[in-house]
Amino acid sequence: MTDLAGIAVVTLMIWVGLFGYVYRLDRKLGRMED
Amino acid sequence: MRIADVLKWLLLVWLALTIVAAFFYVHPAEGFIGESSRIVFFHVPMAWIAVLAFLISCVASVRYLMRREPKDDIRAAVAAGLGLLFAVLATTTGAVFARIMWGAFWNWDPRQTSIAILLLIYAAYLALRGAVGDPERRASLSAVYAILAFVTVPFLVFVVPRIYWSLHPDTIINTRGANEFDPRYTQVLMASLAGFTGLFVWLYTIGCRIEAIRLRRHQEALDD
Repeated sequence: MTDLAGIAVVTLMIWVGLFGYVYRLDRKLGRMED
Repeated sequence: MRIADVLKWLLLVWLALTIVAAFFYVHPAEGFIGESSRIVFFHVPMAWIAVLAFLISCVASVRYLMRREPKDDIRAAVAAGLGLLFAVLATTTGAVFARIMWGAFWNWDPRQTSIAILLLIYAAYLALRGAVGDPERRASLSAVYAILAFVTVPFLVFVVPRIYWSLHPDTIINTRGANEFDPRYTQVLMASLAGFTGLFVWLYTIGCRIEAIRLRRHQEALDD
């Protein structure tokens, strides 16, 4: 794997991880608001 | 599935594709060392969102002073906090670019100096909020401060870097008023700007909801 592909994969992993965290937080807030 | 949920999943796919495009769809730009030009797809949206967030904070502060609604204070505080976060990310991505292109993470370039001042101004806003205990007094003081703070934003972001000679590459809207980017760069940059703006809107909404719950619980505790 080239350096560029490696950085791309890490960036994608960071994005998917961040999305998962924010999505879970969003759902938890929804339950608290109900 | 609600429209809001569809939009969230769309955002996941949109930004994932944008990241892939940023690394594999565009070629390294001429005049830049190695692959450093690709950082523009992350650095520019961070800077744009920081300015947008500071603008929202200023508008919400004006509304607070006019209507005295706690919701406006919450909006101003959340926007300023997110603005500071994205300004830090813009500074960090800029520093990585500076290390590759100019040999050092920090060069006291006019852009770096002006963003450092901006970071201090908005960090002081959060410090001010933390220092005042009374909620109404805190809201009033921080609203006035946020308006004054935003007065410096156009000067520090748009005027100072254009007055002094800078190492920083030409911005998209440059002094010649022309977009001289490769068309592929423009496409990916626009996609990135749209995606990160969507992410900001989502984070801003969540921040406001968290603060609204906190305010409601605080008021319930006072009522008991």
